[in-house]
Amino acid sequence: MVRTAGSGDVLRVAVPKGALFDDSVSALARAGYDVEGLRDPGRSLIVRGAEAEFVIAKPTDVPVYVAYGAVDVAIAGRDVLEEAALEVVELVDLRFGACRFVVAEPVSATRSAEELYRHLGQIRVATKYPRITERHFAERGLQVEIIKLAGNIEIAPLIGIADWIVDITATGTTLRENDLRVVEEVMESTARFVANPASLATKSDRVTDMAERLSRAVAAEKGA
Amino acid sequence: MRPATARGFRDVLLDEAAEREAVAASLVAVFDSWGYSPVETPVVESHEVMAAAGPEGGEAAPFRLLDSDGELLALRPDMTLPIARVAATRLADDAGPLRVRYLAPVFREHASFRGQARQFTQAGVELIGANGPAADAEIVALAAEALRAVGLTEFTIAIGSVEVLHAFVDAAGMPERWGTAVLRAAHARNLPEVRRLAAEPGVPAEVADALARVLRTRGGADAIDACRAALSACGRPGAADGLAETFSILEGIGCSDVVVVDFGTVRSFGYYTGMVMQVYAPGLGLPVGGGGRYDRLLAAYDRPAPAAGFAIGLERLMIALAEAGATPKAKRVDAVVGGLDRAACFAGAAALRQAGWRVVLACGATSLELVRAAERVDAFEAIEAADGALYRLDRAGGRADRVGEPPDQPPSRRFSGRRRP
Repeated sequence: MVRTAGSGDVLRVAVPKGALFDDSVSALARAGYDVEGLRDPGRSLIVRGAEAEFVIAKPTDVPVYVAYGAVDVAIAGRDVLEEAALEVVELVDLRFGACRFVVAEPVSATRSAEELYRHLGQIRVATKYPRITERHFAERGLQVEIIKLAGNIEIAPLIGIADWIVDITATGTTLRENDLRVVEEVMESTARFVANPASLATKSDRVTDMAERLSRAVAAEKGA
Repeated sequence: MRPATARGFRDVLLDEAAEREAVAASLVAVFDSWGYSPVETPVVESHEVMAAAGPEGGEAAPFRLLDSDGELLALRPDMTLPIARVAATRLADDAGPLRVRYLAPVFREHASFRGQARQFTQAGVELIGANGPAADAEIVALAAEALRAVGLTEFTIAIGSVEVLHAFVDAAGMPERWGTAVLRAAHARNLPEVRRLAAEPGVPAEVADALARVLRTRGGADAIDACRAALSACGRPGAADGLAETFSILEGIGCSDVVVVDFGTVRSFGYYTGMVMQVYAPGLGLPVGGGGRYDRLLAAYDRPAPAAGFAIGLERLMIALAEAGATPKAKRVDAVVGGLDRAACFAGAAALRQAGWRVVLACGATSLELVRAAERVDAFEAIEAADGALYRLDRAGGRADRVGEPPDQPPSRRFSGRRRP
């Protein structure tokens, strides 16, 4: 069954927990939304504000909530949207939560993966983002074997499960701490304001209003 | 062996099946009243035929099969491609325009755990060999009438035009790679990416401005005016004329309350070439249906002809109706007919059916056993055939009264859905 739960006057908004949470809450606050409940949600995952109902979600679930209409709109990282490849409308680049997707390898590797490739014809890549990784190497024309892991990607080359990793980095600190160096860039990512296509068509005024308020809020922040 | 259906396939039974049948029948009746004739095509098509529509021609990945000759086949992913094939081959000599309708299962391949069905039923129409705003308006108006006929009162048909976006891309005079990127971003509905591409050096200011705004433009005649102004500024004044005329026809026939112009509705990478439409219903996060104009598809089968159509997803329509509390009531059984004389049972049931009753046979069952049988199928009445007459039974299994000759109206009509007291 595919239903939108929020059929009333308020929009349902998914807010990702984790790295994007604080910036998301302050962007919503600057856009004039009542986010008091979000600042200290305790254990509740659904928080009602005056103009919107917020659903606190695991970041990778956010595109799923939006695409299936469980929420009308959401804040989600470009990276997560790309990986999910679901039908949502990206309305605004919120510009916070910037990070890069990179290919990395151990600094101490005696032979570079490129050299191994010449002899073995294949490179093993560990990642949490198999779809992005697959697309990147397909565009480069490099044959790779992708291994999907759930976390701690940076140790994959150290324990010998992969030659390269594809992972997110904001500052590069985790990579350096794990003795990894960047081989190449895959993509850049920032937080986006996204909408369910049906909500955009049927609750157009409220969705557009929220997009514009958020857009002004982030523009003011960056301008200041 | 686990006796289960394959992933993404399911059985449709009892009440659900009856309700679906009733909804489908209402849709089909409307299509039929507009003079659309039924067509049936094979479930399986040669993969080559499906692929002729282009790499991104279909809506989604087709379900592929390999036959014993090693030929690659595909289960039809929609009905538009098979009907285009039929129109380009067997009906090629038809003077046209050709109006056809269908109610058919279609198949799409989906990855696991996406909660997506691999088989679903589409009800739709295709209007082949007709062009212009009147033909486009016919498609939209027919969709609106069909949805109203099944009892859906609140829905939105978003209409847009592929031509508008192509006109802006064309006016930019940028390399083809840039144009492709803009179309791809617009198709993925990634507006920040469209704005980024619009801001690239070399893009004329008026095109950059239009691209940033027009995909977000929606509304009525005002939205079309805003789009036309932007098109004029880019030196492509005519690109929205067709859509404007289509909209004014729809406005004139009282469809403006359900039709909204939305230039963000683009399906530029499908086979669509002109108007595109998506149908949304409240409470449903996915479109109930969609369609548009695809004037180049028949050319892929060597018989160029303009064409347009739409399809409604029956499963999604059923959810939308349930959300709106407008699911049609399944018809109840009027009576269970029993009695010791089997020939009398058959004859009595036949007489009742003649009078419009919906009757279940229970030969051999009498009195309380017959009442129980009637309760099991939720029938209005238990009727016993004996001595050349039909007797209504009371709850205790006794004979209450005789059914008249000929029988009166079926109870389902008399009580119109209320339970018999």
